[in-house]
Amino acid sequence: MGRRIVRATLVVSVMFLTGACASSEDWKVWLGHTTHFASGDHGFFSMRNNKDGSNPRVTRADIEGARTQNWWGIYAITVSPSQIFQN
Amino acid sequence: MSWWGAVALAAALLLGPATSGMAMPEDAVIPVEQYSTAKAKNLAVTYRAQLLQFSDHVYHCLPWLGVVKDGIGFRQPRGADSDDRYLSVWISIDQSDDGRFGKLSQERRVSAMFSRYGVDMLRRMTQQLPGITSDADVSGFSVVLSWPKPAITGSDKALVTETLALFVDKTSLGDFFAKRLPASEFIRRATFNVFEGKDLVGRVPLDVWEDNFNSTFKLKNYELEKGKKC
Repeated sequence: MGRRIVRATLVVSVMFLTGACASSEDWKVWLGHTTHFASGDHGFFSMRNNKDGSNPRVTRADIEGARTQNWWGIYAITVSPSQIFQN
Repeated sequence: MSWWGAVALAAALLLGPATSGMAMPEDAVIPVEQYSTAKAKNLAVTYRAQLLQFSDHVYHCLPWLGVVKDGIGFRQPRGADSDDRYLSVWISIDQSDDGRFGKLSQERRVSAMFSRYGVDMLRRMTQQLPGITSDADVSGFSVVLSWPKPAITGSDKALVTETLALFVDKTSLGDFFAKRLPASEFIRRATFNVFEGKDLVGRVPLDVWEDNFNSTFKLKNYELEKGKKC
């Protein structure tokens, strides 16, 4: 467990040191990471199951938390507002 | 939780929600000081309360969607000669590829997203903000939809979003919703562009069909915050 925490810390540190850029291996892992709010099928929500596995509740704050785990939302290349609008 | 899940959670906690590009309801509405013309500033002041209310509605009632920061406001299309203002909402859709979405051509993906989310959002804007709809200083409505472009299996290219940015005048939109204007003519009159990442794709063939998903879907086990109504 301790080694895992150290490895996790190292990976996060490297992310910051490299300008928060993910390696190609990271991308492969996350390309296979299924997140589909429309179906409500998200790993984060399952963590909120009661101990007996019944009646999980999902709040809006949970959804925000789950979104922060989506690497596409953090790293994806997106059009800038100035390409669409002018003020 | 998996090892990668732990890493992602640690990164998320350190990076914080600001980097996700999503906004809390009050951050989704463009501040008045960001506008450059008197007309736009006046609209922003007049309707700020209604826009905040609308932002709150999307946040709580359509939790599977996210409004981007400064995503709601009276926008002017890039390249416009006159100060025409469109009430615009920029939505980010957390659409993962279930294997079928990625098999669609880009124009079909754009059509699917607009039919499912764009039409419903435009309808909500006109229905919930009647004062804005009837304001002579508002030329029309706009919806911007962004979603992750389905990745090619085995590709190590960086993820990009696909974005549809559409503007339409009030009369055409009203006639379309009243079924006085066929979808094909509605699309012909609309001004829109598709972007892949930051690259302009331009205008693509766009189909619109009935899709009531956004108005009927209920997120499983979603608990609406106390005091909120949908």
